[in-house]
Amino acid sequence: MIRAGRRFLSSLPALFGVLVFTFLLMRVLPGDPAVFFASGPNAGKEEIEVIRKQMGLNKPVPEQLMLYLYDVGSGNLGRSMMTGQLVTKDLRERLPASLELTLTALLIALLSAVPLGVLAALRPGSIIDHGVRFFCALGVCVPTFVSGLLLIYVFYYLLGLAPDPTGRVDIFASLPPRQTGFLLIDFLLAGDFDGWWAAFRQLILPALSMALFVVAPLARITRASMLVSLGSDFVRTAHSLGLPWWQVVVTYALRNAILPVITIAGIVFSTMLGANVLVEKVFSWPGVASYALDALLSSDYAPVQGFVLLMATVFVIVNLLVDILYGVADPRVTIG
Amino acid sequence: MTSATLRHAGWILRGNPLTAVAAAGVFLLALIAIFGPWIVPYDPIVSNVSQALMPPSAAHIAGTDQLGRDVFSRLIVAARLDLAIAVSAVGISFAIGAVIGAICGYAGGRLDRGVGRFVDVVMAFPLFVLAMAMVAALGNRVENIVIATAIINLPFYIRFARAEVNVRRNVGWVEAARACGDSHLSVVLRFLLPNVLPAMAVQISLNLGWAILNAAGLSFIGLGVKPPTPEWGIMVAEGARFISTGKWWLVAFPGLALMLTVLCFNLLGDGVRDILDPRMRT
Amino acid sequence: MSVTGSRRLLMVVASIAFSLAAGSVQAQTRAETLRYVTGASVNTLDPNIPGSTREAFAVSLSTYDRLVSFGRKQLNGKWVFDLGKITGELAESYDVSPDGLKMTFRLRKDAKFQDGTPVTAEDVKWSLDRVVTAPVLGKAQLLTGSMTSADQFKVIDPLTIEVTLPKPDKLALPNLATVYPIIINSKVAKAHATADDPWALAWLKENTAGSGAYRIETFKPGEQVIMARNTAWNRGTADKSAFFKRVIVQSVPEPATRANLVERGDADLVIDLQASDVQSLEAKGKLKVTSTPQYNAVTFVSMNNQIPPFDNANVRRAVAFALPYEDMFKAALFGRGSPLFGATWADGKPSSGAYPIPQPVKLDLEKAREYLKAAGMPDGFSTTFSFNVGQASTAEPMAALVKESLAKIGIKVDIQKLPDAQMSTQINEKKLPFFTEGIVAWLPSTDYFYRNFYTGNQRWNYSSINNPELVEIAQKARFEPDAAKYEEDGIKLNAIHFSEIPQIPLWQPSQDAVMASSVEGYTYQFHRQVDYRDLNRK
Repeated sequence: MIRAGRRFLSSLPALFGVLVFTFLLMRVLPGDPAVFFASGPNAGKEEIEVIRKQMGLNKPVPEQLMLYLYDVGSGNLGRSMMTGQLVTKDLRERLPASLELTLTALLIALLSAVPLGVLAALRPGSIIDHGVRFFCALGVCVPTFVSGLLLIYVFYYLLGLAPDPTGRVDIFASLPPRQTGFLLIDFLLAGDFDGWWAAFRQLILPALSMALFVVAPLARITRASMLVSLGSDFVRTAHSLGLPWWQVVVTYALRNAILPVITIAGIVFSTMLGANVLVEKVFSWPGVASYALDALLSSDYAPVQGFVLLMATVFVIVNLLVDILYGVADPRVTIG
Repeated sequence: MTSATLRHAGWILRGNPLTAVAAAGVFLLALIAIFGPWIVPYDPIVSNVSQALMPPSAAHIAGTDQLGRDVFSRLIVAARLDLAIAVSAVGISFAIGAVIGAICGYAGGRLDRGVGRFVDVVMAFPLFVLAMAMVAALGNRVENIVIATAIINLPFYIRFARAEVNVRRNVGWVEAARACGDSHLSVVLRFLLPNVLPAMAVQISLNLGWAILNAAGLSFIGLGVKPPTPEWGIMVAEGARFISTGKWWLVAFPGLALMLTVLCFNLLGDGVRDILDPRMRT
Repeated sequence: MSVTGSRRLLMVVASIAFSLAAGSVQAQTRAETLRYVTGASVNTLDPNIPGSTREAFAVSLSTYDRLVSFGRKQLNGKWVFDLGKITGELAESYDVSPDGLKMTFRLRKDAKFQDGTPVTAEDVKWSLDRVVTAPVLGKAQLLTGSMTSADQFKVIDPLTIEVTLPKPDKLALPNLATVYPIIINSKVAKAHATADDPWALAWLKENTAGSGAYRIETFKPGEQVIMARNTAWNRGTADKSAFFKRVIVQSVPEPATRANLVERGDADLVIDLQASDVQSLEAKGKLKVTSTPQYNAVTFVSMNNQIPPFDNANVRRAVAFALPYEDMFKAALFGRGSPLFGATWADGKPSSGAYPIPQPVKLDLEKAREYLKAAGMPDGFSTTFSFNVGQASTAEPMAALVKESLAKIGIKVDIQKLPDAQMSTQINEKKLPFFTEGIVAWLPSTDYFYRNFYTGNQRWNYSSINNPELVEIAQKARFEPDAAKYEEDGIKLNAIHFSEIPQIPLWQPSQDAVMASSVEGYTYQFHRQVDYRDLNRK
């Protein structure tokens, strides 16, 4: 645990770097948010000045940076012009939506990638192996916004199987009391199974279009580490003891092969969370990434900065978790 | 060594038809990129509004777009730009990343730690958003799309090269070279770097496909190349918005071009990995 | 048939009947709900907050009342707002004194805020004071109607309020019907005011305290607003509360998805679809499509008159005759709008004093080349043409056509596609030489357009034109009481516009409202949003 804490501390400089770099990058953007938001039909110089003052842009940049760092230190990420809310509030509302989507997508990806990878590893070079490889490569070669729009077109527009792609839950349905922010969990806690099913249905298409994109790296790493593990002595020993083949594959080979998969899954998760942008956009998903995108295009500084900081923090935490999981799964690595 | 590798490659290609097909695909793509502008039936830029949004026919085998331009001609001509974006973006990040990474891996110490910190910062960014922000800040020109794509790839190359060099810095032949009076720089550039190149080839091939997708994503949110330049990503992004009106050819053909290209790069990358993977050699 | 068999049948029938009944209850609530989807979002409940979006304006029209509102009229079979008819909303009646310096409003006796307290002249005074005093959007708007100070609003008795004007102003009364001068429950608002924020701006941004037709049920900025009907409201056209029990305003960023939603019947109304989607939905014939030319809006190709080479009128004329208008109109708008090109003016004089009027320009490359020669640039020049990402679906095909056509007379155009914030910044800083943009006026009149969009070193003067004669006529026309003289001034202004061609009016795009065939009463409003109170379902 001490080691984990130390690792977290050592990542703080990186977080600080991210913070300052984003701040400066936003100031380099040629758009002036005050002019953009002063868009009323009679917006004049006066209104622009009011907004500039509101956003603190009337001060020199170094002073703005110091004020911003101070605010961040005291837990205030500023206010979004776009939604008119505190960025911390917006992010808190929206993060569960993004997490729920990403986790579901990762789960779908793992559930299909691991069996595929194992299958490919059992018969390397066979037609199955090539088939798996082709299928995985196919998933990675379509931009997520295209696969998303196609899924909507087929399953919502043509077939009417999927619910309308407008966010996390049917607009006419009532929401469960917010406990975790994860709708699937909140519905279960409230005992509302119809609601759960409705939320689940909303989740399927966006999760699928995200999952398609990450099956390939997961399947590839599963296959590679399975190959190593299948060729190792203890698997040969297990075979020679006459254990049934599936038991050998699952309990001996796969268990030993899963560690690298966990590592990659961690990396994949944090990349997905940040790369959600287009999927969230296409499915009107009220997540953090689409929020950041809108903010970026309208030069709304605070939400973009808040989002990047959040993502960087998640990245650090996920890496830490992967380390700890590694320790749990592999007794040779000790943390603590 | 070299002839053995070639023979090995030949063996892999025979045993792995997908890689052979992908290699052929990439070769064909290169030909299209080079000769495209001379073989197209129509000028890809000239509009003809009276012929707008025509479905595929004998005259326009992939239909026409909103301005009556021939979609097929635009697809063919776009190949050069798309490949150029991908190759230069990946090329830049590879060239810079490999050198920096190799130097860090070899030298170690304070420099290594400093660069490591920088890499940590970039990697902690949500990368697509970083690319968006950079293109928005610098202006959406082709050069800037290339630069943004290169920067978000850079850390991976630095890490990779650093790790590869680090394990080799104290092996016998490096020490031998140093003993012969080679300078540190020449040891890195002449001996270590060439040794890590093959392993990086895999990464490069996979990245080429990814760079094309990245550009397409930027186009979708309006940060792609400028009109009227034909580019697959922007054609897909625009075409995707016509899906529901039944103008399927606007998204299907550019989408297919994009897909096949990325597919070829990915399968080729996979194949290269097999060729280089020592475990497969036995 | 056995006994058990028939009993089973009975049970089946009963259960079907039951589920049908349950289904019809559900269908009924759906029928009484309006689901409106939009690409934009609501960011504040008070339309006065700097940075308010247009969707926020639309919501505030339903949650608050104003003293007066515009009537509506039929134009080519479609309902549009009527600037000429101002009816009472919270005011039961109003008078304007013969000298035009005093307006007196008598409030409805039965008008109540949503918390049940009556609307008084004190509330009206506080609300109007707020608009002209606090740092809010309404300040600049009411300025255009000569209302600038709290001293102008006087409480006569609990139900009467008087507005005094420094001089007669045609736009004073209409200004009170615009989006900003909402009447707020001052007791509630004051309770949430602080020393730093005496006008309760922060509280009213997140909460409402009005007397409007709807109250807020859920407000998720950037996602959705759900409103429930205020049954006590009776200021509607037919003196009854609004039709829909609930109104859902939901943000759906992807335009193709909005089209799918309304086509499949999941959404009832949408006004911001892509032209191509509208065209295809109209062709399918299942939905009702109401296309109204936005007659208070204009799309331009603008040139910066202060930056060479566009400081030369002959260059501007050359461009005006080198644009492929017909192709642009067809490719960008799919012909949805009213064109402002291709007119013929008898003996070269403007046909009317209205603004905007179709200009006598068309694609004529020979003429364009002559103008370019006259400007001393027979070989053309290079420039950039900019548009913003938010307008890409229409501006991008347009830009490609502009580039192609201008190349024929030697003008090399580099297209710049700017994120919206960058575009507005560069326009404000007067840095763009050549671009496309649109304007809109809430209270369209010739002098208003010329004063706001052709005058001064300010953002909305896209062409940066500085013509003293134009300014003088426009200022004079503002207070011109005589209609014939006003028309004459308008003709003069239009003549200057054509001879200078500071910018090229292209068209007035249509507002395409696509709705379920059961939705009725849609009216095109001055704010170009949907007024939910207008709507019902047959």
